[in-house]
Amino acid sequence: MTSTSRQPVGQPDYLPEHLGAVPEPAPPGELRLRVTPLAFERTARMLKDAGARFVSIFLAETPEPALVGAFALRGELLVLRAPTGDADPIGYGSIGAWWPAARWAEQELVERDNVRPVGVRYERRLTAPDADLLDRRVDGLDVFVLPFGPVRSGVFEAIQFQIETGGEDVPRIQTRPFFKHRGMEQRFAGLAPDRAVYVAERVAGIASTAYAIAFSEGVERALGVPAPPRAERWRAVYAELERIACHLDVIAKQAETTALYVGQARFQILKERVMRLRTRLTGSRFARGMIMPGGVRAEGAMGLDELHRELDKLERDLRRDRHLFLGTASMTDRLIGSGHLPRTLVEEYSAVGPLARGSGLSTDARHERPYGDYRRLGLNVVARREGDAMARVNVRFGELSESLRLLRQSIEHLRRHDGELTVELPHARSGAAFGWAEAPQGELAIWVEIRDGLVQRVRIASPSLRNWALFDHAFPKDVLTDFAFIEHSFGLTPAGADR
Amino acid sequence: MLEWIPRGLRQGRVTTRYPQREEIAPAGYRGRIELSNAADAEPELAVLCPTGAITVDSDRRLSLDRGGCILCGACVHAAQDRFSFEARYQTAARSRKALVVSGQDEDAAFEPTRRVLGERARALRRSIHVRHIDCGSDGSEEWEIQALWNPYYDIQRLGYFLTAAPRHADVLLVTGPVTAAMRGPLEHTWDVMPEPKALVAVGTDACSGGLCAAGELTAGGVDEVLPVDVYVPGSPPAPIAIMHGLLLVTGLLRPGEMVA
Repeated sequence: MTSTSRQPVGQPDYLPEHLGAVPEPAPPGELRLRVTPLAFERTARMLKDAGARFVSIFLAETPEPALVGAFALRGELLVLRAPTGDADPIGYGSIGAWWPAARWAEQELVERDNVRPVGVRYERRLTAPDADLLDRRVDGLDVFVLPFGPVRSGVFEAIQFQIETGGEDVPRIQTRPFFKHRGMEQRFAGLAPDRAVYVAERVAGIASTAYAIAFSEGVERALGVPAPPRAERWRAVYAELERIACHLDVIAKQAETTALYVGQARFQILKERVMRLRTRLTGSRFARGMIMPGGVRAEGAMGLDELHRELDKLERDLRRDRHLFLGTASMTDRLIGSGHLPRTLVEEYSAVGPLARGSGLSTDARHERPYGDYRRLGLNVVARREGDAMARVNVRFGELSESLRLLRQSIEHLRRHDGELTVELPHARSGAAFGWAEAPQGELAIWVEIRDGLVQRVRIASPSLRNWALFDHAFPKDVLTDFAFIEHSFGLTPAGADR
Repeated sequence: MLEWIPRGLRQGRVTTRYPQREEIAPAGYRGRIELSNAADAEPELAVLCPTGAITVDSDRRLSLDRGGCILCGACVHAAQDRFSFEARYQTAARSRKALVVSGQDEDAAFEPTRRVLGERARALRRSIHVRHIDCGSDGSEEWEIQALWNPYYDIQRLGYFLTAAPRHADVLLVTGPVTAAMRGPLEHTWDVMPEPKALVAVGTDACSGGLCAAGELTAGGVDEVLPVDVYVPGSPPAPIAIMHGLLLVTGLLRPGEMVA
C-alpha cells in the first residue's frame, strides 16, 4: 500500500483553518478530508466557491460509517468524509438546497437511507416514480401536460418527460428518471471482485467498458495494487472503441430526427462495423468479459496489424460521411442554436461529458485525473463554445478522430512492449477508494469498499443522472418539435442514471 | 444534399441474407454456452454461476439454464471439460423449459404451444407490427433491437415494421426484468394490444431476471407478469438472435430449424 498512498501535509489553501478539516491518507488523485457533520455543508460551500464540481453524496461504511461528499477540484477528486457515529437519523445541512447539481443525489439519499438534511424539503418521490402522476405548474389557456414516456415511441429506454406546453412553446419540462431502478448497487455486495465486475458491466450496457474500468480501478486503488501497463493499454483500446460506437450512435440518431435517412444509414453502418470489430476482438459485441480487477482476462483475439487496418478503413469512411453530414444544411440548420445551454448553467449543474464540453468546459476525466493508459497517452480535449446541439455534435465528431488517434497510439505500444496481463489481488485486505473513467456520456465515478477481499459496498455517480438534470433547462427558445434532436444531443442512457 | 445518393449507392449491399441463408457468427463469438458432459458432476460446479443458472441434481446430473445465463464465461474458465462457448446467433426458444439443457431431449414438451402460435402467426404473416417496451434493461438490448432496422439487418424486408402505438402492434418486445415502476405500464401496453398478439422477452434479464433476482425492486423476468411466447436469451442477444425470435413467433421459422 505504501507505494501508492500518500500523506498530505495540511489543508488545501482554499479551505479556511477554522473548518477543522483533517486530511487523511488516500490513493493518488484522491484527496480525503475528515470534517464533522456540522461543518459538512459549510465546507461544501467553500469548495463550490473555489470552483469545485459536484460528483456525489452517499453513506459509506469503510473504515467507519460516514456521510461522504465527492467533488472534483483542480485535478483531484476531493472526498469529504463526515463520520456519523451512531446518529439516528443522520443530520447535516442540506447541499441540494443551494446547489442544483446535488439535488437529485441528495434526494435519492434521503429516500434510501435514514438521513435528514436540514433546510430542504423534497416533495415528490424521485426514486419510485408513478407514470400517471401529473404535476402541472404553468397556468394559461390551452396549456396542458404531455406525459412523454416511460413507454416511448420507437425503441428507447424508459424515462418520462412531463412537458407543459400550449402546443409550440415549452415553458416547463420535468425529467423523471428511476423507472428502471433495479438496485444494481446492492447486487455487488458480498461478491468477489472478479465476479462483481460482471455486475458493473451490466449497470449501463452501452458503457459496459467504462463501468468495468471504473469499478476495477476502484478495487485496485482500494487494495493498493495497480493493474499492469499492458492491461491498461487493452482497457484503453476497449474504452475508445466504446466511445466511437456511442458517438456514432448519437450522430446516427441526430440524422434520423432530421429525416436525413441516407446519413442515418451511413452512420449506422459505421457503428455496426465497430460492433463487429469488437466481436472479433473480444467475442462480445459490447466487449464484455474482458476487463477484471487486477488486469484483463485475455489479449484481444485479433491481430494488431489487422486491427490497425480496420481502423484506417473506418476513419477513411468516417471522414467522407462527416464531410457530407456537416455540409447538409437541412440537418445543420435544425441543430444550430437548438437546445442552448450557457456555460454558467452547465457549471451550476456540474454537468460532464460531451454536454459540458459543448458549452465551453474542458472537463474530461482522462485529462483532469488521468488514469490507466491515459497517463501515458496524452489527450487533446475537444471542446466548443456555442453550447447548442450542433456544438455537441461537433464535440462528438472531434472525439471520434481523437479516439482513433489514441487507438493507434495504444496499438503501437501494445506492439512494441510485452508484459503481464494480470496482477494477483490480495485476498484478505480491506480498503475503500473511488475509481473513475470517462464514459462516452461523461465522467463516471464508482466508490468501492472492500472487506477481507470481498466487495462490501458500491456507490455509483453516473454521468447520465447528473446531466439529465439539465434537460429541464434545454428549451429556452425551442419548440416542441425540437424535442427529439435536443434529447439525442444529450446522448445519455437511463440505465446508468437509474441503476 | 445530392451527394448522399452516390455515397449510399457506392456502398453496395451490406444486408444479411438471413433467414434465407445462415448468418455465421465470427469465431470466438460468445453466443451461448454449450454443455458437453452433464453426467457425474461435482456439486461445486453450481457455485460457478453468478446467476445460479447451473444446477446439479441428486443424481449428480448437471443442467444449464440458458434463460438465466449472462454469458460471463465464469463456468467456461473454470471447467473447460464441461462448458464451452458456442459461436452461434440463433438462440431463441418458444418456452422457458427449452432453454434448460441437461443433455436430454430439448425439443419435446411444448408441441401444443407451437400449434397455437402457428395459427396465430398465420393471421399476422408478412405485415407484422412490432412494439417495444423497456422494463429495466441495461440499455444494450435497445441498441440491438434498433440495429434490426439498420442496413445490415433491415428486418423491414421480411415485413416487420416498428409501430409507435401499442394499439397497432402484433408483437411486443420486452426488455429488462420488469422493475416496480414499469409493471403497470407493461400490463397496460399489453392490455391495449389487439388479438392475436405475441410477446417476446428479449435478453437474459427479461427471460429470468438475470443478475436482478426477483424481489422488491424487480419481478425477476417478464413471465412473472405476463405470458411469454418466445424467449431470446443473451446479455444482450445479437440482432440475428432477436430476428430469430421474431421469426419464431410468427411461424416463419420452426424451432430447431436454422434457416427458412
